[in-house]
Amino acid sequence: MHVLLDSLAMIALCYVMGFLFQGFYRQFNARLQRRWGPSIWQNLYDNMKFLLKSETLIHGPMFFFGPMIIAAGAITTLLFVPFLKDSDWLQGVSTHGNLILIIYLLVVGPLGNALAVGSSGNPFGVMGVTRGLTRLMGLEVPFFLGLALVMLQHETTSVHAIMAAQDGIAHWNLITNPIAFAVILLPFIASQNASPFDVVGAPVEVYAGPRVEFGGRLLGVLMTQNMMMTIAKLVLVVDLFLGGASNVLELIAKAFALFLLTTAISAAFPRLKTEQTVDFFWKVPLGLAVLGVVLNVWLI
Amino acid sequence: MNLILKLLFLAVSLTPALTLLTWGDGTLAWPLFGGFELLFELGPLSAFFLLLLALGTPLVALPMARGTPDRAAYGLFALLLLGMQMLLLAGDFLGLFIGWEVMTWSSYLLLIRSTRTTLEGAQTYILFNLASAFLLLAGMLVFYSLTGDFRIAPLTEASAAGRWAVFILLGLAFLIKVGALPLHRWIPLGYDQAPDLFSAVLAGLISKMGLYGLLLLPTLFPDALAGLSGRLLNGPAAGYGLAWIGAITAVVATFKAISQQDIKRLLAYSSIAQLGYVVTAIGVGSSLAVGGAIFQTLVHTLVKLLLFITFAGIVLQTGQRRFNDLGHLIDRMPMAFFAVLIGIIGLAGMPPLPGFAAKYLMFVGLIDARWLLLLAAMMLSSTAAFIYCYRLIYGPFLGHANSPEARTATEAPWSYLVPQVVLMGLLVLLGIFPGFAIEVIVDPVLMTLGLTPIGAPSWGELATPYGGYDGVVLMTVFGGAFVIVTALFWLARGQMRRAGSPYDLSFAGEVPTADTPLHYGAGMGRELRRIPLIGWILAHTTAGVQAGLTRQTLAAAGLLGGLYRRDPQTWTLLAVLVLVVASTLLALNGGWF
Repeated sequence: MHVLLDSLAMIALCYVMGFLFQGFYRQFNARLQRRWGPSIWQNLYDNMKFLLKSETLIHGPMFFFGPMIIAAGAITTLLFVPFLKDSDWLQGVSTHGNLILIIYLLVVGPLGNALAVGSSGNPFGVMGVTRGLTRLMGLEVPFFLGLALVMLQHETTSVHAIMAAQDGIAHWNLITNPIAFAVILLPFIASQNASPFDVVGAPVEVYAGPRVEFGGRLLGVLMTQNMMMTIAKLVLVVDLFLGGASNVLELIAKAFALFLLTTAISAAFPRLKTEQTVDFFWKVPLGLAVLGVVLNVWLI
Repeated sequence: MNLILKLLFLAVSLTPALTLLTWGDGTLAWPLFGGFELLFELGPLSAFFLLLLALGTPLVALPMARGTPDRAAYGLFALLLLGMQMLLLAGDFLGLFIGWEVMTWSSYLLLIRSTRTTLEGAQTYILFNLASAFLLLAGMLVFYSLTGDFRIAPLTEASAAGRWAVFILLGLAFLIKVGALPLHRWIPLGYDQAPDLFSAVLAGLISKMGLYGLLLLPTLFPDALAGLSGRLLNGPAAGYGLAWIGAITAVVATFKAISQQDIKRLLAYSSIAQLGYVVTAIGVGSSLAVGGAIFQTLVHTLVKLLLFITFAGIVLQTGQRRFNDLGHLIDRMPMAFFAVLIGIIGLAGMPPLPGFAAKYLMFVGLIDARWLLLLAAMMLSSTAAFIYCYRLIYGPFLGHANSPEARTATEAPWSYLVPQVVLMGLLVLLGIFPGFAIEVIVDPVLMTLGLTPIGAPSWGELATPYGGYDGVVLMTVFGGAFVIVTALFWLARGQMRRAGSPYDLSFAGEVPTADTPLHYGAGMGRELRRIPLIGWILAHTTAGVQAGLTRQTLAAAGLLGGLYRRDPQTWTLLAVLVLVVASTLLALNGGWF
């Protein structure tokens, strides 16, 4: 019973934080570009509009199940991320999982959705999926190596244990292992599907991407899971590098600070092509990660 | 008569299971000439590989027994089973070698029974496999000269040079069988050209014999290879090279797999890559990594049997084997779709299937050994594998049907479906209960190898010193979330309508027709060549590298030959001059000695 209530609370918190953060992102971007921009509630309105559409077009059963898999994947992922430390609440089932499991769970949903994209029969959608998988291949190597440095530092894959070891700001991994944070920062932005690595979703101008065939309530489900997933990833990085949080306000503050940092980086750089993205990840962050490995493992 | 023959054949396919169940603890010694004897016994390591055989052979034999009996193939298959069981049960190198030869020749004869086998394919297969057998022979003779005995036992007394000779000779023999780069050339050709069902045996079972050999190495060199040449970081230095061979094999073979146009060739390259992980993990040699290697061996056997049997069914029903010629089989062959779906989830190592448990153990093993650069290479290969996994399911099953056969195909016969269902069930069960596999299958092998068992608090849990996860919870949460989300979606207001035609797409403002090329299967992965590293890897082939080496060698020889002028007087004079100058210098330095 406790687990069920706790899970519902986590899902609700993720959803609320999700639409507020993304609403803020749209405001923030608009102000940078000297526009007024939509209200901070706009993402909630959009999401509700999609979810309440009366008619949805589908292309066969697999097309329908794809968004269900991705939503189930998002919920599973966020339930395996501990939101608070030293608390009975907002834990989900995180004691039964570990960091490597979470990293793999992050891609279960998108891969399920890729089946739906393929079954739609639209080649532009599949092109988007291929781009997404290519970018994933690029970002995952430095991302995982950066996290491996943290796992090595604490000799565990348990997020709880890593969080518990960071008592006080001086013991934050951001301070004790800055190279690892620098390594994962840009791949993390890419995994959030944010600019400048967002050619996969192609938000505005390129007519291709995994979502090209989806509409109505299915698009609503995709949008919902995207907002929740954004928050789950932010909380994971807060847990790993910013010492976690003891209460909800602290959690929101830390996640927002991190979000502000990634948003600022996103806003400053123009979009990269897929192959440029991969090449960049294998040169700069991976190079830095190799340096980190040499410093941490070979020299000490 | 035919029925009896088929029943007899199915009975033969059950022999590994019978051997496994009835052997017990006994040893069987068969005296040969001059004091030599053949010794057979069943240790936990052999039992593990015999278990793979016992699972795999009936499942392949069932579809093989369909239709008119192919008597020669049945006979050769029985011989192959005999050879593999013999080499697994052998307690000395003599039996191992005889079994190895029987396996090599019977599999070769089975391979060339396919109508698709070319001279190049057949020659490559037999040449590489004979090279492996002769390296094994050389290794075992060196072993005999060091110990005076053929028994497979730790090699502790010998000199360092002797031990290195045994290590390298046997290691090379087994690496050829596993298909490590650059000794893999026979695998894509062989798996591609073999009869469709026999490819399942090649990838699922015969390749595992190479892994059995590699796992014998820690038995010969105890203390996890560290006894051979000390330690590097937190792992054995001798294994570091082996681990990099595995990692490079995995990375290169994965990119090669992505660029293939033929389903069976793609599976062949993916098989090379997957066994590359196992080689890496064996190189690490710790209890976690070797546990992961054994787990991965088990998962890879199940996955490759499942995929090859399913695609054999598709080739049987459609006659097509290339990604461009299939498409949209999901409605016509739903069972095959589910089989491939489960197969690729296992192949990609995604949770909640057991491929993830195996990957997890290997990753943690690498972190524990502090070999993080190898970890990065493994991660690269296993993420890039998502692309070919997606292609495996998109090309044949999704998108648009691309050939008349793909438009009219029906589900494969039941003898293909039964093995698919069994294998899917096994994969899902192992995914829910990774602790069971650890406790019952992996730990006994680890103990024979002299490593600490990993242990499991319960059947659902995978536990390591670095943390673990609970398969039951994972499956419950994911399944529960899926059911709840789908139910909510159905209960909510609104209706769904299926698109009127497959061409009812958002297609950049145009209306596609049946003539528009809409299937993306063939082009997928082509754009990867624009990434410099991958472009470089794909622009080079092993055959090309070997031809280049030949050219360089010839050029060097030509350079050397330039010294020898056409008239003999010149170079005789040259030789005399060198001799004179050298002896003068030596004399000035104080004589010859």
